[in-house]
Amino acid sequence: MVRKNGRRLSGRNMPAAMARHLPLLLAWLAAIFLVAPIAIIVPMSFSKAISFEFPPPGYWTGYYAQYFTSDSWLEATANSFVIAFGSMVFTLLVALPAAFGFVRYRFQGKSTLNLVMMVPIIVPAVVSALGYYGFLSLMRLVGTHAGMIIAHSVLSIPVAFLVIAAALKGFDRNLERAAMSAGAGPLRTFFWVTLPVLRPGILVGALFAFLHSFNEAVVAIFIAGRAASTLPKKMFESIRLESDPVIAVVSTLLTGSVLLGVLISLLFRQRSANAA
Amino acid sequence: MQAVRGRGLTSRDTMTAWLLVAPAVLSIIALFIVPIGYVLLLSVTDPTVGLEHYRRLFTVPLYANVMINTFKTSLIVTIACLLIGYPLAFVMARRNDAIAVIFLVAVGMSFWTGFVVRTYAWLVILGNKGPVSAVYALAGWGKPPQLLFTSFASTLGMTHVLLPYMVLALYGVMRKIDPSYMRAAEGLGARPFRAFRHVFLPLSLPGVVNGCVLVFTMCLGFYITPILLGTPKDMMISQLISQQIEDLLAWGFASSIAVVLLACTLVLLGIYNRFAGLDRLWG
Repeated sequence: MVRKNGRRLSGRNMPAAMARHLPLLLAWLAAIFLVAPIAIIVPMSFSKAISFEFPPPGYWTGYYAQYFTSDSWLEATANSFVIAFGSMVFTLLVALPAAFGFVRYRFQGKSTLNLVMMVPIIVPAVVSALGYYGFLSLMRLVGTHAGMIIAHSVLSIPVAFLVIAAALKGFDRNLERAAMSAGAGPLRTFFWVTLPVLRPGILVGALFAFLHSFNEAVVAIFIAGRAASTLPKKMFESIRLESDPVIAVVSTLLTGSVLLGVLISLLFRQRSANAA
Repeated sequence: MQAVRGRGLTSRDTMTAWLLVAPAVLSIIALFIVPIGYVLLLSVTDPTVGLEHYRRLFTVPLYANVMINTFKTSLIVTIACLLIGYPLAFVMARRNDAIAVIFLVAVGMSFWTGFVVRTYAWLVILGNKGPVSAVYALAGWGKPPQLLFTSFASTLGMTHVLLPYMVLALYGVMRKIDPSYMRAAEGLGARPFRAFRHVFLPLSLPGVVNGCVLVFTMCLGFYITPILLGTPKDMMISQLISQQIEDLLAWGFASSIAVVLLACTLVLLGIYNRFAGLDRLWG
């Protein structure tokens, strides 16, 4: 080790030193490429400009006021929350038992059904959107919250299922056996042992389903109509039609919440890593 | 019911398991596969029964160009994502310090920020009142070339939007590579680059394949970014679908394009499934 460090410092091995730092440099550039465009939205939201202008000609909070008083933006926000919450619940209700079925049992038709579980993420979003439009108009569900919840939940079942199944695979079944032999019934064991241990995995699955629905635009554009219009759909349409500066405000609020969420989840991970 | 084939495959287990997986599987069949089937049906029945749409799709040069353009763009985006994402994932996987956390936050944040928001950012950046124009004016270069509403803008935007998927796919595989392998190679006298090329790179290849398949297939049918940033002159499949529906209300023809898009995706993922197994794709 010492010899190597000594060698690295000598002039003859400059390329080696560069080789050590080049990945880090490239990684920083990639990270900046990822974040800088998103960061630009924040000053934009305080900009006085009527159209998309950067750097902003002046700063104010007028467009925030506009967002918080605009019926159509607030309605889209409320719709987004309701639909995302509904999809999360629906997704969990079907993905959780499915994860138990696939991880804990060997049964006939397992590999085929496993493939079926993956279909919604295989199909490109436009294709799903077209399918939903036709299907939901037959059921008279286009432009309704129920239609959106159905569409979004089915799309997030696969990933929620994968996340929960992964957590379940790592679950030590001796914990259950211990609870059972200590006299707990199957239900008690499930609610007091199995579920709490799986909680992080279930939470991640739930969060995924919620955020997937909250961010999903393509299916929403096709089937949400006006009454169930969500934020991404409204933003997409505003960008295309009128370049409403409130878009920057909404984007900033969304990005801010995401950043907060990522930081909190990191904190949780740190804590559970320390606990382990 | 057929009982006991192999170890412990009893009919009772099968029943319990079917009950557990039924809600999910039936939801997907009734609420997803059936609607997709409806697209297939529409493509051969609307407005008249027959394969007319497919014949048109495969014989009119304009549509062939759209297909070629879509594959070309997807390939460029995939390669760009790989080149930009590999070093980032490499550093993230091999460090355990504050820098790794910063990178993880950067990737996580862009992963969870919606496509529309991130596409909007590029609309501002590349727009004629954006920072690129400001830099041109400051440097006295006059007006910048038209950036927005070009295939360059849409390629750049898609690279940005899909990069987190590539990085996470690479990171998932790279994190499992035991760091002692690289230390061993270097301890035996290999220079860092040599150790990387002969030890780390081959071990990270599954991640490269995952990331590329994921990004390429997502790119093929990508809707938001090409429509907001691209140009009708160099259309991608999704733009063609959108145009057929919004401007021409040609649902049947749009469905046939969607079916071809679906078929391309399925073929690619089918090949992947054959060699790797589909459920590994999402780590």
